Amino acid sequence: MSFMDRFVSGWRKYRKPGYYEDFDYAWTMTIDLDRCTGCGACVTACQAENNIPIAGESELDRGREMQWMRIERYWEGEYPNTKLKFIPLLCQQCDAAPCETVCPVSATYHNQDGLNTQIYNRCIGTRSCAVYCPYEVRYFNYYDHHWDAPLDQQLNPDVTVREKGVMEKCTFCVQRIRQAKDHAKDDGRRRIKDGEVQPACVQTCPAEALVFGDRKDPDSLVSKSMSDPRAYHVLEELNTLPSVVYLKRVDADAG
Amino acid sequence: MQAEEKQLQFADVNNDVIRSLVVTGRNYYITLGVAIFVTLSCFFFPWFYQLFYGIGAAGNNHPAVWGTYLASFIFWIGLSHSGTLLSCVLHITNSEWRKAMYRSAEAMTLFSLMVAATMVMVHVGRPWFIHWAAPYPNQMELWPNFRSPLLFDVMAIATYVTGSSIFIYMGSIPDFAAVRDRTTGWRHHLYVLLSLGWRGTDTEWHRLGWAYTFLAVLIIPLAVSVHSIVSWDFAMSLVPGLHQTIFAPYFVVGAIYSGTAGIVTVMFVLRKYMNFEQYITKLHFDNLGKLLIVLSLIWSYINVLELFTGWYSGTSIEYEQLKYKLFGFYAPLYWEMILFCAAVPLLMISRRIRTSFVPMLLISIAVNIGMYTERFLIVATTQSRQYLPDAWGIYIPSLVEVSIIVGSLALFTTLFLIFVKIVPSVSIYEVKETMDTPRKEGSSIWQETMETPKSENGDPAW
Amino acid sequence: MVNNALGLFHDPDSALQAAGRLKRGGFAQPELLSPIPIHGVEDVLGAKKSVIRRFTFFGGLFGALAGFTLAAGTAVLYLHPTGGRPIITFPPFLIITYEMTILCGILATVLGFLISARFPAIRERVYVPEAAVDKFAVTVACDSEELFSRAEAILREAGAEVVRKISEGGS
Repeated sequence: MSFMDRFVSGWRKYRKPGYYEDFDYAWTMTIDLDRCTGCGACVTACQAENNIPIAGESELDRGREMQWMRIERYWEGEYPNTKLKFIPLLCQQCDAAPCETVCPVSATYHNQDGLNTQIYNRCIGTRSCAVYCPYEVRYFNYYDHHWDAPLDQQLNPDVTVREKGVMEKCTFCVQRIRQAKDHAKDDGRRRIKDGEVQPACVQTCPAEALVFGDRKDPDSLVSKSMSDPRAYHVLEELNTLPSVVYLKRVDADAG
Repeated sequence: MQAEEKQLQFADVNNDVIRSLVVTGRNYYITLGVAIFVTLSCFFFPWFYQLFYGIGAAGNNHPAVWGTYLASFIFWIGLSHSGTLLSCVLHITNSEWRKAMYRSAEAMTLFSLMVAATMVMVHVGRPWFIHWAAPYPNQMELWPNFRSPLLFDVMAIATYVTGSSIFIYMGSIPDFAAVRDRTTGWRHHLYVLLSLGWRGTDTEWHRLGWAYTFLAVLIIPLAVSVHSIVSWDFAMSLVPGLHQTIFAPYFVVGAIYSGTAGIVTVMFVLRKYMNFEQYITKLHFDNLGKLLIVLSLIWSYINVLELFTGWYSGTSIEYEQLKYKLFGFYAPLYWEMILFCAAVPLLMISRRIRTSFVPMLLISIAVNIGMYTERFLIVATTQSRQYLPDAWGIYIPSLVEVSIIVGSLALFTTLFLIFVKIVPSVSIYEVKETMDTPRKEGSSIWQETMETPKSENGDPAW
Repeated sequence: MVNNALGLFHDPDSALQAAGRLKRGGFAQPELLSPIPIHGVEDVLGAKKSVIRRFTFFGGLFGALAGFTLAAGTAVLYLHPTGGRPIITFPPFLIITYEMTILCGILATVLGFLISARFPAIRERVYVPEAAVDKFAVTVACDSEELFSRAEAILREAGAEVVRKISEGGS
């Protein structure tokens, strides 16, 4: 195609808002807060799957935890009537992500799966995406991390180890999605079946509070889960159009 | 010379300026040596340490990923604003008092921009790839993301650096010519090159005048846009405390404010240590003081606006941010900023203070300390308190960061000291323009205007 | 080798008078060398056309087009949708266009200045160092001895302190 053709077709394809609806998949996760026990298995699974560095005690003291999925905890009330509310927070893979626009080198962008991807090789570490993220789910590698033996034996070969100066965040285990897409292609160019690919956190959750799938498929578990009347988005008023749907916990004790 | 001692003559201007360039005393070398040493030990050494170990050497942590490096970057860009912008505005309005001081003010702009550029490299996580932010054709067929506010920054600052250097160079061409005639050795060769063969013909003055005015007219909207664009690094986010439309005017006013205070500091130093007492006078400090008062009042107004809108917005997060700023962990810094930027400059309402040199120096330093605190607070308080309370955290700069701040000041001083010995820091021809033009001997000014000279056959010569 | 007559004056008005008389006297366009720009030159020696204006304008225009093409063209070369926003958006690209307009305007102005003022000077031109300090000089080309003495007379009558004969390419 000549340059002008590319220019016009590129302009047309991305002109109207909502063009991400035309993408191949629209990966969505629902988190049922009624089922979630706050056990933190998802956090551990994510750390194991994605080679997330272990920050260590001194770094944690300085506030530099590295968890792509974190369990937020909010205490209410005074002892002995304290109540704990928790919510697992991961990258919301927003369709209108504020972090994507600000990267000067396009190290983060929205790919054809509807995922907000982070390209580690391209990142120069300006950290503006982390400032722009209202959910604060982006984590920066302040140091070159290393794993003491024998922990270095448990690293996942499908995922890179990021060097210092690079931003990272939850990718919905894109390596698993990529593998599932490859299998689907080998299998005769079909679409990925519902439940065929699950990120590490979804796979591990003992309470099955996390459900993952393609919301473009009306029969998928996640689409049915999204239609629950308890469904909401965190910080919905910001219009970031997140792909993570939370199902409100029904508080039996409240009034 | 039959002139009286007090009256400055054209030749005196040349002599004074050339002497400032060529004659260097021991004090200069000592100061330069100290500045270079502090730059190397407090700026480059900690920076290399940080390059080796990672940004972890700074005090940044999970919510507070931006820190003093970015605050310093914005501070230095702000400091750069006054020099060229003020010089251009005052040139367009044909003001007289600008003539003695604008050269060093523009130099201040240029070197602040250079220091700001190095602060970006210190701030970024992988500075060895920072060239990716520049639009150049490459094998990866990748281009920077022009939708990003940081990239507007890159384009704006590149344009501003180019514009400022060209502006200061163009204004200096006649001065380089004046200096080349009386210097020898490497200086002579350098000035021959830099002056491009300037002779001072009427054609050359005409062309220079037009080019200079066009440049001034182009640079004024540029300077306003540069700091607005820097403010949009913050304002284009969604996070509370940063996502405000007031940011563009706030930053521009703050920049001109801190830059003007910087000019006062530089003028004081130049005046005292380069023997420019006759050129940089009380008039300059008086006018700069008036400008500072106006800017201080506008700055205070904008801060009151921020408080007011935060208070009546009624949304929990904006109000929470406001309370945190005023009464939270960083409250002492906030009140120090208000004291130095809003309260102390009010002293300049008194003419006595405006025309005394040491009080003006102290006030200008206080203003700049307050403005640096303002930049730091914007970065620190807004990141400490955002939408999700679980992610709140405190940011305290580390020793490496404090050292780099001090080092950046030393770097600026080094560059400025080198400048003072290479480029005439007071503009020779513009100062001469403020002085009385020599008149025909034995004629009064009235006679000249009334009498048209006659040629041989009695017709007027023109 | 062209000879030039050069007269040094103490004040700009005498220099202007001398230049006007030289022009009336049929000499080639005289040049005024001065440490500061002299007012009233255009009345005596004729209005000067400035071509720098055109350079600035076309430079700015080129910059605007180049800026928008750079931003929009590179956006479609490698399609990177970000933030749910269109690939070619006007608010950010207008800012890039604006900055490039000013950048190219500035560079074009400098180019226009260098071209119209004939800088840098490769060959030596008529010059006296006093003209950069406090004297105002008038020089005019005169090929023959007779022209030179006429020029010298006019210059001295207008009040020149010193009159010199300078040949271009030497002193």
